[in-house]
Amino acid sequence: MSAAVTSRLTAAVCRQFQRVVTVSSYAQPQSATQAFSKLHLCQRSQTYDSWWFRSSVNNRALHTSCVRRGLEEFFDLPENWGEQTVKSGAPWTAKQLRVKSNEDLHKLWYVLLKEKNMLLTLEQEAKRQRLPMPSPERLKKVERSMKRLDTVVTEREDALRLLQTGQERGRPGEWRRNVFGKTFWYRFKEHPIPWYLNSRYKRRRFFEPSHVAPYTRLSLEKYLRSKIRKEKREKRSQERLATIFPKKTALA
Amino acid sequence: MRLTALLSMAAKAAFPRDYRYGTNRPWTIAAQRLNPPGKTRRKVFVEPIANEDWHVLKGDTVEILSGKDKGKQGKVAQVFRRRSWVILEGLNTHYRYIGRSGDYRGTYIASEAPLLLKDVTLVDPTDRKPTDIEWRYTEEGERVRVSVRTGRIIPKPVFQRRDGIIPQQWKDGTKDTSPEDTLQKTYTTSLKTLEEEVMEKMNIWEDKSPRNSYWY
Repeated sequence: MSAAVTSRLTAAVCRQFQRVVTVSSYAQPQSATQAFSKLHLCQRSQTYDSWWFRSSVNNRALHTSCVRRGLEEFFDLPENWGEQTVKSGAPWTAKQLRVKSNEDLHKLWYVLLKEKNMLLTLEQEAKRQRLPMPSPERLKKVERSMKRLDTVVTEREDALRLLQTGQERGRPGEWRRNVFGKTFWYRFKEHPIPWYLNSRYKRRRFFEPSHVAPYTRLSLEKYLRSKIRKEKREKRSQERLATIFPKKTALA
Repeated sequence: MRLTALLSMAAKAAFPRDYRYGTNRPWTIAAQRLNPPGKTRRKVFVEPIANEDWHVLKGDTVEILSGKDKGKQGKVAQVFRRRSWVILEGLNTHYRYIGRSGDYRGTYIASEAPLLLKDVTLVDPTDRKPTDIEWRYTEEGERVRVSVRTGRIIPKPVFQRRDGIIPQQWKDGTKDTSPEDTLQKTYTTSLKTLEEEVMEKMNIWEDKSPRNSYWY
């Protein structure tokens, strides 16, 4: 599809440059779109991105076969095709993952990723056919395993970083006050130029203007009042429950 | 990041603070019919019981103390901690029609009504009489339910998984890792990050130095 789009774009560009440069016997875009519309699975014409690579002499369409390796990994094992339920084991727990080496975790991540891709393909195909997906809990198990793997890897990274540098966070940041007077944790971003050359960054205001200062105190008062109200509400509900359900002192 | 947070918020089922939870799961059509979005009902007060003090578990045998089926013993099918409810199999039933459409009035079935926790007690398995329960610690340090009257330990009921799998009778499939491989320890502590270790193992050499970047 993307090749068809680029071929249409190149055709548009060609039309622009027709007055300037003559591009002779140019049938490539047409043949490219036709090739895709015929939907030959493993035959495609070699299309280039930009028109200036196409010479006026060697302009015959070149056909190569697609790489056929590995597409079967997007699909389940053939014995599971057409089954209503597929048996699957328990997901990996964080405790089990913590005893594995980094190399094992790295390999496991890709195994889980390929399994997830296969299950997502299956889910999409089931939606297309308007049939129920066989055993959708497999997808949840894989996602949970991947999340736990990520947790274990971040734990190890955090430990190493704390040991070597003493930094609690992987990404630098600091407490800043925004234009509305609210203090928040500002997470730094990576830039190629320093801040004093970054005009867009200089326009951002990390201070509260003088007319906003009185509102900071008022919002703090509001927050404290709401906190006290919440505590009082909790206490009142506990007292009400104690009157409705009095604690039994002597067992009947 | 904000988009994913928004999507997760939309995916999570949100209910009002004074939503009255019933026997139907809140996302089912029956629950939506009973509790449509605009409806507010009078608040039900539930006796506050801490999670560790809860003594009735799913699968226990209990006896009913008050109500239509007073004195009968039954197995617990479902427990609702939020409302201190217990649903027993086949007891405290009322009858209703289910699956009616058009002229067909539907099947006549018995549906169980929930019982409050204070209306049921656990039954001592040895003499099959109702008792009061206390949480005590054994000599090994295990926390168990002990009947006050006889002093015997009431064992926890066998937990049956919802998908019907019995862990002792499980046979691994082609894509499952065997228990020995799962528990095998391959981790050695080292001062290398995952990326460095993997690059070493795969013989990837990175000679390029990263560009100077500014963090702010």
